[in-house]
Amino acid sequence: MSAIARHNVQTSGSGERVMLFAHGFGCDQTMWRHVAPQFEDTFKVTTFDYVGAGESDSSAYDPDKYAKLDGYAADVVEIGEELNIENGIFVGHSVSAMIGALAALQRPAMFSTLVMVGPSPRYIDDTDYVGGFSGEDIDDLLTSLKDNPLAWSASMGPAIIGNPDRPEFGHELAESFCKLDPEIAYGFARATFTSDNRADLPNITASTLILQCRDDIIASKQVGEYVRDHIPKSKLVMLNASGHCPNLTAPDQVSAAIRDFV
Amino acid sequence: MSNPAKISATVRNFDNAPCGYLTFDEEGNILETNNRLREWLGISTADLEGSHVTHLFSMASRIVFETSIAPLLTLKGQVEGASLDLRAKNGAKIPVLLSAEATGTGSQRLTTLVFLLADARRNFERELAMARSEAQAQLLMKQREGELREQFIAILGHDLRNPLTSISSAARMLSAEPLSDRGKEIIKLTQGSIQRMSLLIANVLDFTRNRLGGGIELNLSDGKELEREIRQVVEELRSAHSGREIRLEISKQESVRCDVWRVGQLLSNLLGNALTYGDPAQPIRVVCSALKDGGLELSVWNGGKPIPPSAMERLFDPFVRSTNHDDPRGLGLGLHIASEIAKTHGGSLDVSSNVERTVFTFRLPNGELET
Repeated sequence: MSAIARHNVQTSGSGERVMLFAHGFGCDQTMWRHVAPQFEDTFKVTTFDYVGAGESDSSAYDPDKYAKLDGYAADVVEIGEELNIENGIFVGHSVSAMIGALAALQRPAMFSTLVMVGPSPRYIDDTDYVGGFSGEDIDDLLTSLKDNPLAWSASMGPAIIGNPDRPEFGHELAESFCKLDPEIAYGFARATFTSDNRADLPNITASTLILQCRDDIIASKQVGEYVRDHIPKSKLVMLNASGHCPNLTAPDQVSAAIRDFV
Repeated sequence: MSNPAKISATVRNFDNAPCGYLTFDEEGNILETNNRLREWLGISTADLEGSHVTHLFSMASRIVFETSIAPLLTLKGQVEGASLDLRAKNGAKIPVLLSAEATGTGSQRLTTLVFLLADARRNFERELAMARSEAQAQLLMKQREGELREQFIAILGHDLRNPLTSISSAARMLSAEPLSDRGKEIIKLTQGSIQRMSLLIANVLDFTRNRLGGGIELNLSDGKELEREIRQVVEELRSAHSGREIRLEISKQESVRCDVWRVGQLLSNLLGNALTYGDPAQPIRVVCSALKDGGLELSVWNGGKPIPPSAMERLFDPFVRSTNHDDPRGLGLGLHIASEIAKTHGGSLDVSSNVERTVFTFRLPNGELET
């Protein structure tokens, strides 16, 4: 099966450059539903689900391959190859910021621009570095995911959404959001929250935009600044938004900042 | 007409309702909480002032809340029954079930959370999850053991064949030598035993191959050789059981597409069954006739005690042997393999049994197997 089919790759829009949107841990490509369409007029817009998320092919899951973020980065490169991406823009939310960085390090010609929304090169504190979490916190998270796999089950079912802004979609649009296979979610959480990509940052040659929110407990402002200070061609933009998901809570700000940068 | 005294009592009751309740604004700042929740957390209203909703959760649950619950609330407007941990002021974790709903947009956005204590439920779920993973591990182990055992049997069966072939040709050569009457008798008995053993091995091998996923392979032909094969099988069993009478009735018929050797094996198994369980004083009949559509009907008849109704259901299962027989012989694979051969041919194997006779009938409709 092709990488395009495995990852439920969706393409729209027209333009010279490809803009590849990647979701983070805990959700799927619906995370980008308010942002990606805003670029359809000038870019070839592509979204996808990582293996185990959304409508991806869960049978392609291999615990060894996906034990590290490199496994996910390899998939991004594979998708890029199948779509013949050159000089592309990789927009990664949360952990995908580092997955994109790994992909760009492997294939600098494929992704010449990186947009990192709430990036963190390491979530666990380390001597002088403040990631925001202790090793114990992350162990606790992994244990709770393991023996409480139902944490998300309630939120994974299909839902009918009412869309107040687009009444024409009404209640007919039945969708499931943030569908995650519990076993795979555990593996993804482990790969994500035990990752350490600090040493990779100085090697990034792509010009990089970092979007940072206030009160982001997953990736604090301090972490965002660390990323800016260690990637040579980078710029940090503070958004007037709080939390970890500005792509949902402040999509227009996210779009405007990306448009300014590219 | 509403009663003001009653309403204020209701509000007070809600403050102490058996659930935690809180609302927060578009930035995640806590707006109000009920008394019950503050009691659980061991905090006062002053403690909560201006604090962010995520601070009420354990670190692990904060991550889940921010990466999964919050996006869902934005996308879907509601979350039902998510399982999270609150963190009390003293550091204790409080397992809760969370339901949430968000209304309004922009600065008008208001989110309401309701918590139910879920300690017992969490333990129950954990036990269920543990029991399931144990059961899965055991099943996997048993499956592996089973596969190993079947591989062992397959290899054993295969290795037994070679010496048996040597014994068989030795017996055949010996039978061509001048022998005393007693010697001839012994050779005959030996050849009968060789034949039974070779059938037994064939059945065991087929069974294990089938279980190992190989299935029974068919080597199909136009079936012109079938009559000769049937006669030969009957002849072999006659010579091995000289004390028994086996009558063969073949009516003229069209040839039917089948694996001739397999149908021979099926007949051999049915005859072996009849010889073992049938009344030795009564003849066994092998009847081969044509179906209306030109297909094949092959049946084996024997007299003696009928098969008890209780045994009928599992008659074609592997390792089932007669319980109303004093001398259980064989592995109980014969009928199972016969029925598998019938199935693989797209045909059927049926049985009827009463005090007068027990009849096994193999039917192979014509045109069932394409070229």
